[in-house]
Amino acid sequence: MTENNNNDNTGDGANQRVVGTPTDTADVVTEVPAGAESEHNGPYLASETHPRGEEQQRRGEKIASLWFILAFLGGIGFIVSYFLFPPTAEGPAIADPQISQYSNMLLGGTLTVALFGIGAGMTVWARNIMPHYEVASPYDEMPSKEEEKSSFSDFFMKSADESGITKRPLMRRTLIAAMLPLGIAPIVLLRDTGPVPGDLMKHTRWADGMRMYVEGTHRYIRAEDLENDPYGMISALPALNDEEYPHGISLNDQAKSVILLIKMPEDDWKDGMDSPVREGSDETHLNWTHQGIVAYSKICTHVGCPAALYERTTHRILCPCHQSTFDAADAAKVVFGPAHRALPQLPIGVDDEGYLVARGDFNEPTGPTFWEYAKD
Amino acid sequence: MSKTTQAPKALRGVGNFIDDRFHLAKTGEKNLRKVFPNHWSFMLGEIALYSFIILLVTGVFLTLWFKPSMVEVVYDGSYERLQGVPMSEAFASTLYIDFDVRGGFLVRQIHHWAALIFLASLVVHMLRNFFTGAFRKPRELNWIIGVLIFALAIVEGLFGYSLPDDLPSGMGVRILQGVMLSIPLVGSYISMFLFGGEFPGEDIITRLYMLHVLLIPAILLALIVAHVFIVWIQKHTQYPGQGRSEKAVVGTPMFPGFAVKAGGFFFFTFAVIAGLSAFVQINPIHLFGPFTPTSITSGLQPDWYMGFLEGSLRLFPNTLDFQIFGYPILTSVLVPGLGAMGLLFGALGAWPFIEQWITGDKAAKNMADRPRNAPVRTALGVAGITVYGVLWLAGSNDVLSETFSISLYLTTYIFRVLVFVGPVVAFIVTKRICLGLQRRDRETLEHGYESGTVQQLPSGEFIEVHKESSEDTVAVLESKPVITSTALEEDATDEKGVENPAARKPMGKFRRALAHWYTKDNVSFDGVQAHTGHHLHHSADHGDDKAH
Amino acid sequence: MKWITARRRHPLAGYVVVILALALFGVGYAALAPTADQAQAQTLAAEAPSADDVDIAQGKTIFDQTCASCHGLDGSGSDLNGPDLREVGSAAIDFQVSTGRMPSMDPNNQMPRKPMVMTEEELANLIAYYDAQIRTDGAGADVPYEVPDIAPQRADFDDEESYEEALAEYEDEYDAYIEGADDVDMGMKLYLTNCAHCHSWSGGGGALTDGRWAPEIHDSTPREIYEAMVSGPGAMPMFSDGAISPEEKQELISYVKTLQAEPNAGGIFDLQRVGQVAEGFISWTVGLSLIIACAIWITAKQRAHD
Repeated sequence: MTENNNNDNTGDGANQRVVGTPTDTADVVTEVPAGAESEHNGPYLASETHPRGEEQQRRGEKIASLWFILAFLGGIGFIVSYFLFPPTAEGPAIADPQISQYSNMLLGGTLTVALFGIGAGMTVWARNIMPHYEVASPYDEMPSKEEEKSSFSDFFMKSADESGITKRPLMRRTLIAAMLPLGIAPIVLLRDTGPVPGDLMKHTRWADGMRMYVEGTHRYIRAEDLENDPYGMISALPALNDEEYPHGISLNDQAKSVILLIKMPEDDWKDGMDSPVREGSDETHLNWTHQGIVAYSKICTHVGCPAALYERTTHRILCPCHQSTFDAADAAKVVFGPAHRALPQLPIGVDDEGYLVARGDFNEPTGPTFWEYAKD
Repeated sequence: MSKTTQAPKALRGVGNFIDDRFHLAKTGEKNLRKVFPNHWSFMLGEIALYSFIILLVTGVFLTLWFKPSMVEVVYDGSYERLQGVPMSEAFASTLYIDFDVRGGFLVRQIHHWAALIFLASLVVHMLRNFFTGAFRKPRELNWIIGVLIFALAIVEGLFGYSLPDDLPSGMGVRILQGVMLSIPLVGSYISMFLFGGEFPGEDIITRLYMLHVLLIPAILLALIVAHVFIVWIQKHTQYPGQGRSEKAVVGTPMFPGFAVKAGGFFFFTFAVIAGLSAFVQINPIHLFGPFTPTSITSGLQPDWYMGFLEGSLRLFPNTLDFQIFGYPILTSVLVPGLGAMGLLFGALGAWPFIEQWITGDKAAKNMADRPRNAPVRTALGVAGITVYGVLWLAGSNDVLSETFSISLYLTTYIFRVLVFVGPVVAFIVTKRICLGLQRRDRETLEHGYESGTVQQLPSGEFIEVHKESSEDTVAVLESKPVITSTALEEDATDEKGVENPAARKPMGKFRRALAHWYTKDNVSFDGVQAHTGHHLHHSADHGDDKAH
Repeated sequence: MKWITARRRHPLAGYVVVILALALFGVGYAALAPTADQAQAQTLAAEAPSADDVDIAQGKTIFDQTCASCHGLDGSGSDLNGPDLREVGSAAIDFQVSTGRMPSMDPNNQMPRKPMVMTEEELANLIAYYDAQIRTDGAGADVPYEVPDIAPQRADFDDEESYEEALAEYEDEYDAYIEGADDVDMGMKLYLTNCAHCHSWSGGGGALTDGRWAPEIHDSTPREIYEAMVSGPGAMPMFSDGAISPEEKQELISYVKTLQAEPNAGGIFDLQRVGQVAEGFISWTVGLSLIIACAIWITAKQRAHD
């Protein structure tokens, strides 16, 4: 903790003029060469200024200049590096990652040298040429004096009274009333930032008979495609083709309707599969599967990451974001982590050509759980 | 020593021009004479200031090409690997900055590294101020401004991270939306209005862009200017030492000494950030690929400053969730997602006032505390760091699980325990260390320091020679303040024999209990004279050296 | 040494040591960190061995000696945690043995990737025996011989010339497979939606439950990735040719191998492509520390003999 006391020249180099102790009060002066006081005409008190010796200053000047020269060369190098990678016929040279790496390191390296050189040079300047300062400066007394305060308060209240704001309640109140609607106006103006939720988040594009794509391809998937996967898994999307989207389906629809198709031996189903898909329904989770294939929403019910990490040995579906874990063999119930509810399930079957199809929409809204998710 | 020279004519001309219009000669000199204490820990805030400046400059450069648009395009730019991939214009234009603009890659990396350094320097700067008590009167409001800057900087960072619309950044936005949705009653409305519809919609990047480049930086800039302005008026605190007092600050004046040092430091800060950006790849969005709401990667993490929120989201179980009339109350999202943030910044902002309420000390403090001399505050600070650290680590529990082959769920359970046990242990240990250091200080003050020279006395006894500490060390050691509280006096009757009514109310009792807890452990320096050479007996010291 | 002794108590000595240590760390990291090129170099193509080339009798000896203790002499499995092999297919056998996971020393734990314990020839014999005697009616997936595997090894060739010839041939085949994929979007989608949640966007691997992990796939050859997909080793689900067709698998494998081989445009240190955790760590340990070291230099106490 004593480090902060930058007590220069506590030893006394023979060639250095030691002018004083660091305190502003002490005026002990040791080994002052004759005439030092009278020579001192710096901006601060002599006792607060500890000049460097001439020898040190001369050396400092050389070192600082060396740094500045290095910085200058770095700066030149930076500009040269910029022009080293000109655009070519096929496009800029830096489009190739390897060239881009060279470009980045050359530009960045020279910039670093230029900046560091200036910083180091200035530091050497401050430490070797400039005197070391131990200047004292009084803290201002913050509270104003009593008479100043009372004078202010007196003035303020008198002026306020004179303005009539205290004496004319009708005017005061109507002014406040006039401000109110204007204060609310900006909030009103924000109304058109988006639609009200309504039922938007409760339904997806899945519908009875809709086929599904293996995500990333535009290939419909059949039940028999999975016959060689006793423990299979694949990410799938509804087979929609919206002209305006390069993906074929908007990101909004993807975010709601993406499913994880999981296939497991039918012996592995647990009791939860026999429970109804929603309260009062006579469909069970098992009814909604097809030959060991089950479709769950891929979007975690916690905060919406894709819960995609499926372990075929444990049938756990784990979300890599916050590790909510669902049991794929047990109606995707939550078995660990922060998620509030099971992953919604999509009823599936096959059409007459053997393609997997949805038989309706999910049993619950997909995505993060929200306030009115359970209400129709 | 050169003679005082007349200012060059050109400079005088400019000076007169300005002074004729603003009458600045006197104020100007006063401000150029402003004094800055000489200690590296007073420069931590400058790192934040300089990295903020770097962020502004590089950010402006990036806006020249970045297109904050979510319109889907099929990429046909010059980066070969992703040609033919559908992506948002935001992502495509970020690729353009990386692979078509010379130096664009570097500037993007500087912007990102500077953001990480900015947040990190805010934290260490804040910790320095906390542990030295620099938040005390008259600096409480500046402390609060600092807390606001910290909170806003986190949000600013999150939004900036989201803009390129790459895979991890889009997931960050998704989590943000998930947390919003959990808010009772209005959650889905807030989400719909912010996103302009369902997630991800086509508006969010544009809106976050406006917040990231205009609104939040403007507020941050205003707060930072206010912060620096207040420091300018109130002046820095300073560490105790010879010649230091509550009355005057000692250090290097702005002109010429500090200006050169601070200028050099700006270049150093920039140089380190540029060096990192030149050689260490950060946030390689071209490798991540564009965002789709259906893709995810393992090891998905936010930038470090969001880590504690990510960790608390991972740790909080769903067992406390409940339903009201079929509507869910999602404590597992609300508490960690919003509560943790509120708790952190609420506690930070309130602490100066809580401490003042406990001690009842209304005096202005310009002398910085040595952390050991405020053991309870220091221990609380370390406990806070521990909670934060545990949550932060929990935010990377999958990486830890994989690296150390520990069961993933086990790491969660361990962190759930640690988040409660860790701070308690940290508090106890830190306080002990503080008191131990206080005791050593007293030894040093009485006996001088151990010189390392061992001598044999004529009697055959070996002793280590103690030498007298420097005057400066003595001044530092003797500066130890006595921590007291007015609450402990209030239980007495006043001079008229009337019991203090405030002290009998529950709040009064509570305050007294807190005051007792805050002040009870202390190594008293009463009666200790510098270098008197003999052990004093502890018994005389009001028996308040409880740590024995 | 005198020089050091005289200076080690210098107030700046500590920082010098720290900076030197950091520099050393950086250089060491650069030297040790595997580069994408090295990872890519070890791969090999082979054609399905013809019946004349294989020695089924030797394959039986290998099976009985190294596999049967856990999996049973008929491959039907045992209580020693050796699963039934009769329906897993030869792709699974090739994958497990060629990545050194089998034979396993400790069947109760997940097996990391290791060098293969037998020669390519022995493995071919083992697979021939498996196909002939143990496998049930061609169940499971076959070894995808058309997908490139590891590069030819110098030790397997008598002279340099024939080795280089084989290597050049292999490289052509490898490049043809990787460059034969032309739909990055499809490869990327397939990888990011079906693989990255365990193996990470960079193929760096990730954590699973119960202390298991998804291995990093930097060293995996295209054939190994293919075999892992069709056979589903460990906790990994299966992606048969029905679920993801061979052409789609080629897109997927090409995507991840190309990504892994790409140089890091942002600088030589890629932090193992771990991402944000490593970046945060570096910003504190290297970035902030270096800046603070500069601050200490600026404000450090000076002594007369400096």
